[in-house]
Amino acid sequence: MARNRVKLAYIANDAARKASYNKRKKGLLKKVNELSTLCGVDACAVIYSSTCNSQPEAWPSTAAAYRMLSDFKTLPAAEQSNRAMTQESLIKQQIAKAEEGLKKVHEENRRMELTQIMFQILDGRGLNTVKKEDLIDLSMLIEQNLKGIDIRLQMLNESYVL
Amino acid sequence: MATLQQTKSSNTNGKVTKGRQKIQIKKLENESSRQVTFSKRRNGLFKKASELCVLCGADIGIIVFSPKGKPFCFGHPDIDAILRRFLSEDPLGSTSTGSVVPCFKEFKDGCQEALDKLEVEKKRIKEIEKENEEKKRNGQFWWDDPIDNNMGIEELEAYAKATEELRNNVASRANELMGNVFTTAATTTMTIPGGLGNGFPVQNGGFGVGESSGYGNFGLGIEGFNFGHGHDLDY
Repeated sequence: MARNRVKLAYIANDAARKASYNKRKKGLLKKVNELSTLCGVDACAVIYSSTCNSQPEAWPSTAAAYRMLSDFKTLPAAEQSNRAMTQESLIKQQIAKAEEGLKKVHEENRRMELTQIMFQILDGRGLNTVKKEDLIDLSMLIEQNLKGIDIRLQMLNESYVL
Repeated sequence: MATLQQTKSSNTNGKVTKGRQKIQIKKLENESSRQVTFSKRRNGLFKKASELCVLCGADIGIIVFSPKGKPFCFGHPDIDAILRRFLSEDPLGSTSTGSVVPCFKEFKDGCQEALDKLEVEKKRIKEIEKENEEKKRNGQFWWDDPIDNNMGIEELEAYAKATEELRNNVASRANELMGNVFTTAATTTMTIPGGLGNGFPVQNGGFGVGESSGYGNFGLGIEGFNFGHGHDLDY
C-alpha cells in the first residue's frame, strides 16, 4: 500500500482523482458498515461524485437511505443541527485538538527545563544566573516538589509506624 | 492489516496501549465499549468523508445514530443541501449550487489555510517530543526515571531541607529583582550569595516556618502560592 502523504487538496489529474474517488468511496462505505455493525446503530450514507452528478451512491440501499433521511428531516431543527458536522467544524475541531496537544507539550517542556535548572542550582549553580522571568515559575515548581516530598515522607513515616 | 503490537505512545504520558488489534465486525458486547467505539469511529468516519469531499470534489451526507439514539450527521456542502438534493431527487443540486458556487473559492482557500495551520501545529508537537526523547536518552532527565524507592527517610528529609532553603533563596532573589513578590521565612542562608554550595547544608535550629523577620512583605502576589504554609515535617 502506498504510504505517501497526499496533500489535502482537490486532485487536478482526472485519472488520479477518479481512482482515488473509487478507492476512498469503497473504504468509506466499509467504515460506515463497520460502525453500524459494531455499535449496533442505524446509519446511512449518500455520496455524489463530482462527475456523474445524477445518480448518488447510497448505503445501505437507496430505499433505506431515503427512509432514514426523510425521518431525519422530520426531527426538530435543533436535533438536526446540534450534532451536525461540516467540513468547517471538523477542521476547527482538529485544530483545537492539535493546539491543545501543543500546549501540553510546551508545558511539559517547560517543566523539564525548570526541573533541570532546579537541580543545577542544588548542585551549585548560582541563582544570579537564573533569568528573572524563570524565577517565579521556578518557585512554583519547587513548591510542587516540596509537596511531593512531604507526601512521600508521610508515607514512609506511616509505614514505619505500622 | 491490523497487527498486534506494543506501542509506548510518546504523548500519552507513558501509558502503554495495546496498539492496533484486529477485531471481528459484529456487535460489541460491552455497552461502554460500544459508546467509546462509536465516538472514535464516528470522528474517523467524518474525517474520511471530509477528505473524500476535498480530494475528489464529492458531495456527501452521512447520518449515524448513537447507541443512545442521538443523531449525528456530516454533510458537504451541508446536510440540508444533501437532504434537498436526495429527497427531492434534484440530481444536479442546482438549487443549492447557486448559493455555494460564489463563495466556493473562498471556502476552499479558508479550508486549505486552516488545514495548513493544523499541519504546522502537528509538526511542532512531533519536533518537541523528539527533542525531549533525545534529551531523555542522553540521561539529561534522570529524575524522570521511575523512582527507585531507595531514598530513605533521612535522605528525603535532607532533600526536603535543601529544597526549602532553595525555595527561600529563590523567593528572596525574586524579591530583589522584582520587589516584594514573595513572603519569605527567615533563614540564615540569605547572606550566601548565589547558590547553595555543596551538599545539603543543615540549618541551625531548623526553619521558622511561617515566621518572617525583617521581611515586611506579606502580600502573596501569586495566586495559590502558599508561602510559609506549614508542612508538618517532623525533624
